[in-house]
Amino acid sequence: MAVRQDASTGQLIDDDKPEAVDADGKPTMALKVYSPYKIYFDDAAYSISAVNETGPFDILPKHHNFITLVSTCKLNIQSPTGAQEFEISGGLMHVKSDKVILFLNV
Amino acid sequence: MKRPQDIQLEINQTSTIVNLTSVFESLASMKISAIKNEVIASQLFFKEIWHIYEQIRVDSLFRFGRTKNDEAIKKTLYIGVTGEGGFSGDIDQRLVRMMLKDYDKEKHDIIIIGHHGAIQLAQSGVSFQRYFKMPAKDQNINVRPLITEISKYESAIVFYQSYESLSVQGTAQIDLSKAVQAQGLKSGEDIAGDVITDETYIFEPSTFEVVAHLEDSMLAIALSQFIFESKLAQYASRFRAMSAAKQKANESFGELRTQYNRTKRSIADARLKETINGFRKAED
Repeated sequence: MAVRQDASTGQLIDDDKPEAVDADGKPTMALKVYSPYKIYFDDAAYSISAVNETGPFDILPKHHNFITLVSTCKLNIQSPTGAQEFEISGGLMHVKSDKVILFLNV
Repeated sequence: MKRPQDIQLEINQTSTIVNLTSVFESLASMKISAIKNEVIASQLFFKEIWHIYEQIRVDSLFRFGRTKNDEAIKKTLYIGVTGEGGFSGDIDQRLVRMMLKDYDKEKHDIIIIGHHGAIQLAQSGVSFQRYFKMPAKDQNINVRPLITEISKYESAIVFYQSYESLSVQGTAQIDLSKAVQAQGLKSGEDIAGDVITDETYIFEPSTFEVVAHLEDSMLAIALSQFIFESKLAQYASRFRAMSAAKQKANESFGELRTQYNRTKRSIADARLKETINGFRKAED
């Protein structure tokens, strides 16, 4: 069957849905980092590292559905176009189905 | 009759006024365009946050970012958004009049934004809890101190200057919690339909804290948009005033130019007449 439910998250997973990969076959996820008036990053990425109340954390492709309040930290993004770092003063991160949105200045 | 040199001086002065009003008109127009872009960008941002919020929220009560245990002041907070003064016409007076129409100091507290509005309230003998300056910049307005005040109250109503078009600006009022919901509903056509719960998502630090933070953020965006709209209305009002002044100065410029040409012509005619009369007398 193409669609199944993940036992730990309850999330519906479509096995037929092709996995996003870069030119070398490395898995990627869609990442958007933006504030009400400016987009800082909107492209495919291998990973994003940030800090929340619990401590530093990384988001990689296939991550569980996740919502967190991000603390003031240095954001690190690894992407096919290279590594990028931003100083941020906090935000809210939403992760779902290999799509990550980081709302800044909220 | 005025001398041509005097008229020329007036023409130069009028020309300066035409140029100045033209510059002010262009500045106001540029500001209007920039603020409109800001509002559109922040609406898109709001839309995505609202989608997440609506999927988490289990009831429809907007709590202004308060947790269930926080006690709110049992009054309605009035927030008036006015100009800092100058070139604002009677729009601030109309706004203050609207705010004071149903005002009862036992039931309402007032926070005023803008020096002009504060003066209007003081002249009406009405005291206010706090006064904030209208932000001079048109980007990244810090509304945090305002939100801290709002979150202490059970409900809040914003009185602001509304922008309808370049030629029409009015005053409006809106209940803040309804404003946030209305803003969300306006952008809610393509909601995915999933419900976000503790079973399907990992929340850090907790669901309640995330919801409170989202409410706080949406409130900040909605408030910024009211301030932006008021600024838009003020710039449009200024644009209108400058357009009218430029038109008037252009008319004066045209009249003075005609007057100058007539005066020069009449002086030339008078000299010609004198010369002809001189010749006639010489012939006689």
